[in-house]
Amino acid sequence: MIKKQHTAIACFIVIVFGLVLLYTGTDGFTAYTAETARVNQLVNEQPEFPDVTFTDSQERTYSIAEFEDKYIFITFIYTSCGDECPLLEMNMGMVYDQIPENYLGEDIIFLSISFDPERDDPETLDVYKDMFHADGETWRMATITEQSELDALLEEFGVIVIPDGKGKFAHNSAFYLVDRQGHLKDIMDFTDVDSATQRVMTLLEAKEGE
Amino acid sequence: MNQFLFGFLLLVFLALPPVANLLESIMIVHMHMQMPLLVIAGFLMAYYFQKKYPAFFEKWNQRGYPGILLFSIIMIYWMLPRAMDDALTSQTVEIFKYISLPFLAGVPLRDSWAKLTSFLKNIVIISFTIMFIMMGLLYIAWPEQLCNNYLMIEQITLGWGFITMAACMVIYLVYNVLIDPMQYEGLAE
Repeated sequence: MIKKQHTAIACFIVIVFGLVLLYTGTDGFTAYTAETARVNQLVNEQPEFPDVTFTDSQERTYSIAEFEDKYIFITFIYTSCGDECPLLEMNMGMVYDQIPENYLGEDIIFLSISFDPERDDPETLDVYKDMFHADGETWRMATITEQSELDALLEEFGVIVIPDGKGKFAHNSAFYLVDRQGHLKDIMDFTDVDSATQRVMTLLEAKEGE
Repeated sequence: MNQFLFGFLLLVFLALPPVANLLESIMIVHMHMQMPLLVIAGFLMAYYFQKKYPAFFEKWNQRGYPGILLFSIIMIYWMLPRAMDDALTSQTVEIFKYISLPFLAGVPLRDSWAKLTSFLKNIVIISFTIMFIMMGLLYIAWPEQLCNNYLMIEQITLGWGFITMAACMVIYLVYNVLIDPMQYEGLAE
């Protein structure tokens, strides 16, 4: 009888331990992959956009201060990408098209950042921008030529880029939204264009109501 | 004592940074080679603990249930895509891997396995077979990268690794049902 109790107690302890382990390991059963955990954490922390120097498709160079007091809708791409980036940019274009014109450039800027500065020079970006009908002003394509600055940004915003050794990269894709103060506001699913658009519109309209 | 030494040396060897880095650089090797080897290290060391603290195992793992339960929970945890990424990015999780797999999975597995009835052993193997098939299909069919540190192709390879392991367990189970070892022992006499 006593031994049976011991078994029951031991099983109970093991189960409690297991639940605690799985609970902490998945942030309370919300994040089963590191990607979900990363997004949850980033949105909580709202890191500041680091100081970097962009070089855009029109060969202009500027820092993030260029977009002061505007929302920035960001994607991270490279132009030699075969599958995911074109889809990401196409969806970005669909969000762009749904934003009323009076907001564009005034309250929000669309920015595609290439993490492949070696190949993505201004000319390449210029060609790429035309493929998605980006105007180069309210939707800009830029890269960061200083590798250390680029790495700092990718690190801060949790963008993981793995070169596959054959000129391609494996990377995580999402819509990033930076608020008017230059802090990361949200990371959105790039496959869900409507939700992303709604989220952006809610924020833009909130400003008007103030 | 020899077994303990082998187990301990295996654990130390696996913990050497170059060895750990090499094994962890390939997804399927990380999950299906490094992790099982850590369990085996604990399995070998278990003998020493069983001899040293027989009363503890007798009292708390009398019929092997708590031990096998602990083993299963640790295994399930390490099958999460998240756990593999965390082990690579967080020192704490990495250390937890080197403690949990040998001592919370390997040790209880050895103590429990000897105590379980063959019926329960089969239940455990069948459960793990089902789990492996499901994990395999998940890793093969998931359209997105599940682990940030590994490429999609590695994920699919890992999925097939799971399916292969499951197939091996099915073969074992079938063998168990169809073959009666007594017949062979009878011949040997």
